[in-house]
Amino acid sequence: MEMRSYIKHLQKHILPSLTEGRLGRVLFLVLPFLLLVGCSKRTFTVPSQFAEADSVAPLYPDYTDIIIPANIAPLNFSLLESGPTEVVALMEGTNGETLVAGGEKDLKVFIDSTEWRTLLQKNKGATIRVSVFALFPQGWVRYKPHTLQVAEEDIDPYLSYRLIEPGYELYRQLGLYQRNLTNFDERVIYENNRAYSDEDNHCINCHNYQNYSTRQMLFHVRAQHGGTILIRDGKAEKVQIKGDSILTAGVYPSWHPTHNLVAFSTNKTGQAFHMYHKEKIEVLDEASDLLLYDADKNEVSLVLADSTKFETFPCWSPDGKWLYYCVSEEPAKDVEINIPDSLTEMRRVLLYDKFFYDIRRMPFDEQTKTFGPSEMVVDCQSRERSASFPRISPDGRYLLFAEGDYGQFHIWHKSSDLYVKDLQTDSIYALTEANSNDVDSYHSWSSNGRWIVFSTRRMDGNYTRPFIAYFDKNGRAHKAFCLPQFDPEYNILLLKSYNVPELTRDAVRITERDLRQCIYETEGKMAKFKARKQ
Amino acid sequence: MAKQRKQYRAEQKNPAVGHGQKAMNATQEKVDGQKTGKKRLKLPVIVVFFVLVWLWAWLWMGDTMRVARENSFWSPNEVLMRFMDGRPWEMLCRAGRMLLTTYRWPVLGGALMALLVAKCTWLTGYCLRLKGWWKLLQFVPALAYLLFLTYIGYDLFYEAETGLIMGVPFLALIVLMMLALIIRSFSHSHKFPNPFLPDKGESTKQHLAGLAMAVLTIALPMGVSHWMRPYVRVTTRMQCQMMEQDWRGMAETARKNADLSYRQIAAYYAIALTQLEEQASRLFDIRMDYDVPYIHGFNKNANDAANYYVMDCDLYAGLVQTAIHHAMEHMTMNGPTLRSLKLLTRGALLKGEWRVAEKYLRVLEHVPFEGDFVKKYRPMVGNVSMIDNDPEFHHMRLTEPVHDNFENLLTQPTFMGYNIALNEGRSINALWNSLMVHLYTKTMPQFIARCQPLQGNTPPPTIAEGLLLMSNKYPEIMKLFPGLEYNQARLLALLQETRPFMGSHETRAEHAHELFKKWKGFYPYYYFFGNLKATKRKDTNNEGTSKQGVN
Repeated sequence: MEMRSYIKHLQKHILPSLTEGRLGRVLFLVLPFLLLVGCSKRTFTVPSQFAEADSVAPLYPDYTDIIIPANIAPLNFSLLESGPTEVVALMEGTNGETLVAGGEKDLKVFIDSTEWRTLLQKNKGATIRVSVFALFPQGWVRYKPHTLQVAEEDIDPYLSYRLIEPGYELYRQLGLYQRNLTNFDERVIYENNRAYSDEDNHCINCHNYQNYSTRQMLFHVRAQHGGTILIRDGKAEKVQIKGDSILTAGVYPSWHPTHNLVAFSTNKTGQAFHMYHKEKIEVLDEASDLLLYDADKNEVSLVLADSTKFETFPCWSPDGKWLYYCVSEEPAKDVEINIPDSLTEMRRVLLYDKFFYDIRRMPFDEQTKTFGPSEMVVDCQSRERSASFPRISPDGRYLLFAEGDYGQFHIWHKSSDLYVKDLQTDSIYALTEANSNDVDSYHSWSSNGRWIVFSTRRMDGNYTRPFIAYFDKNGRAHKAFCLPQFDPEYNILLLKSYNVPELTRDAVRITERDLRQCIYETEGKMAKFKARKQ
Repeated sequence: MAKQRKQYRAEQKNPAVGHGQKAMNATQEKVDGQKTGKKRLKLPVIVVFFVLVWLWAWLWMGDTMRVARENSFWSPNEVLMRFMDGRPWEMLCRAGRMLLTTYRWPVLGGALMALLVAKCTWLTGYCLRLKGWWKLLQFVPALAYLLFLTYIGYDLFYEAETGLIMGVPFLALIVLMMLALIIRSFSHSHKFPNPFLPDKGESTKQHLAGLAMAVLTIALPMGVSHWMRPYVRVTTRMQCQMMEQDWRGMAETARKNADLSYRQIAAYYAIALTQLEEQASRLFDIRMDYDVPYIHGFNKNANDAANYYVMDCDLYAGLVQTAIHHAMEHMTMNGPTLRSLKLLTRGALLKGEWRVAEKYLRVLEHVPFEGDFVKKYRPMVGNVSMIDNDPEFHHMRLTEPVHDNFENLLTQPTFMGYNIALNEGRSINALWNSLMVHLYTKTMPQFIARCQPLQGNTPPPTIAEGLLLMSNKYPEIMKLFPGLEYNQARLLALLQETRPFMGSHETRAEHAHELFKKWKGFYPYYYFFGNLKATKRKDTNNEGTSKQGVN
């Protein structure tokens, strides 16, 4: 058929049928207009007449009376109230500049990011007063205003984390992601295979950076294509940190701040599942030791390997002269426990709440790469408490850690709270304003030491979410707030947990494709084991 | 369409209005009809086919498809659908999952399925320009597809991509529609036939053959499902009844199909009995020899698929935390499914975890047609008395553990291991469950030891039968439990009748099935002849094997 006759055919038969009938013609004319209206943005105005409520607006997430960095993404929120049909928020900075945002129906308030940035920059070090108005059938109501204090210090702009279902034994699709905190962009660092495949299924965990920079980073791949992925100056390589003298592969890592050295724990880990308990899971080590891996020489050596002790969670001090770690002793043999002989090997499981971890440290000689004798930093055992995840502030003054009733895997312990030890004054205290009644655990510092980010299950008791808290010059943490999301409902709808939130100054440089290539196509070179002289 | 109908009427009145050979054929048929004195009524074959597929997809496959829907998840919310990103055939699977949501009501889902299949069939005929006898070929793709759906049985939804169920015919429809549009655009003469009118160009024989083919396209899959996968419809029927909390119906369905012996059926039957508080009287009314069903998991290997039922069994056994564990594993492996989300919601309510219960309800609010579930359970958030007074939850509460334990320390599956190790229960129901698990696993010394609290009382029927059986070895049992003697004659009759087969495990297994009809429900029969891995059909061996013993 010639083109001309084809067009004629279209004109004669096809197009008329599309606009056939009254409805068709109406739709044909009205549709573009509807699309135009649908895409336009509504402007909200502050009501002039309103009644006063005697409470602060119930916001989700709770962004009332918090301290925020000036470079944070807009704190979009929704009003948790039944009845109103509209919500308007007025934000007034003490240094000038106002912002009005609002929402209808679902009462979600979306803040214009340009206006937000201007407001925050102008009010750095000052306060923003937020008035929330809700339109009830009886008229507008204004809640008690709350404040947003804008800190002088910015937060590191990138946060990386793993997204995974609040796990039990199995894993399937998971990945490492990096969120730009100044906006809502999230990029994939690496995701495992999307489709199930026995040949490709693998887990990824324990991402770690050297000195808040992505220039040198690492993470582990478990199961198929397994190994530790070291990324240095944008190039990835796979190494196998295991051997006859090592319990398992390297597990919890910590990059030395200035040398190409990584301290690892190596853990034989198991899980036990409660059947009638407020906690769900216990993660227990059957054995654990500490390793030191020299990335330049591809050498690994044992640092601590006392079979009667459980050493784990290594962490370098910012000057690289101390290695902090957690350690527990085997619960006393005389602890009575009534179990049949067949379950003797499960003794440790049944004694799960008798493991108390202290925090200790060892001096490190950078020249000889040797460690000195260890010393106690936080004695928990004597108090029948247990500490984990030591993290030293960038200025070296504060030791931030999680403390709970027992054990080391506090992300599953509701008793877990964040604590700080002032290494100058030796005082230990809980970060009460930042803590919650639920799990508050895995934590990291921003490079300027003014912000901490940590995992908490406070929102629903099950799914961990990253919360950010301001840590002031006096060593006091303030009320924490949830990582802002474009859709305030995001944290309700997301069925995955955030693991291991780590702040960095820069974005990850390597592409996912390069990482995939390294993981899938290389076997990984075996690290040489080096006996250590103490 | 009105024009076409007018034209058809005109053609009926005056055959000359038609075109060429078609009109000639029609005229000839009319003449033939006049000769024989019969008026031939022609039905529009595609419409008939649509109705048949609808009935099949609604009444025959409705429950199975509804369970498939429960094992699926679709929401218009992009955050909730992130788990689908980057999956093979992502868009197709998303569309298929969306269409599957209509199976909330099988009559609606069935209509949609029928529409897709019938329209594909009609367009196949149009695009391939099938005429005369060749037109029968238009049914072949539909037949192949429906046969496949029934042949794969549980694999339709068990650890499988549920988006393909409706996605495949949807894709076929899109492709065929595009093809048809192209053909129609380039061809003036090849008009779309009106599916609501019979084909004028076909002879009576061809017309009848078309109808027969339409019937066959439905009948063959029904045959496959009835003869090759009979357990699928029974299991899914019971699962749907469980969703409706029709416990009596569930038990009846299992008993009506007592001869079918599959773990999935036994598991849901036990759930129904627990809710009816009949676990200690009717458990052995169905065969428990466990043929191996056709079922595969993610790794495509045949297995006994305990994951199919284990989370439901844990929940109804009162092991809420364990059920949550398994539901979470299910969600990890499959992505969110309605089934796991609903179980997690109910588990959270039972555990008093209000915030996470509310979270799951908010998620379910974003799923089409789940309003009823949300409406039912939202008022329970924070309302303990409402939960305790709910009949379903009430029964779960009766068997909740008294003390904590670790799943790892128990024999698996946990709902069995827990009852084997039970030391203290919340109610008499907990004791019954424990005793029944001992009877089921034939661990008689422990069974007798645990019967101690019942001394001096007449135990429930099956427990009494277990005690009677043991009284042969321990005669003092007769004195401790009144009423055991009522079944003594029956026990003797069984022992007498089965004496010739008692020699070896093999002979017992061989005669187990023929004895079942007479002795079903009687515990001593189960003790000697039940759960011996005696498969009725030998041909199941190549479909996978279960290495487990009594469990």
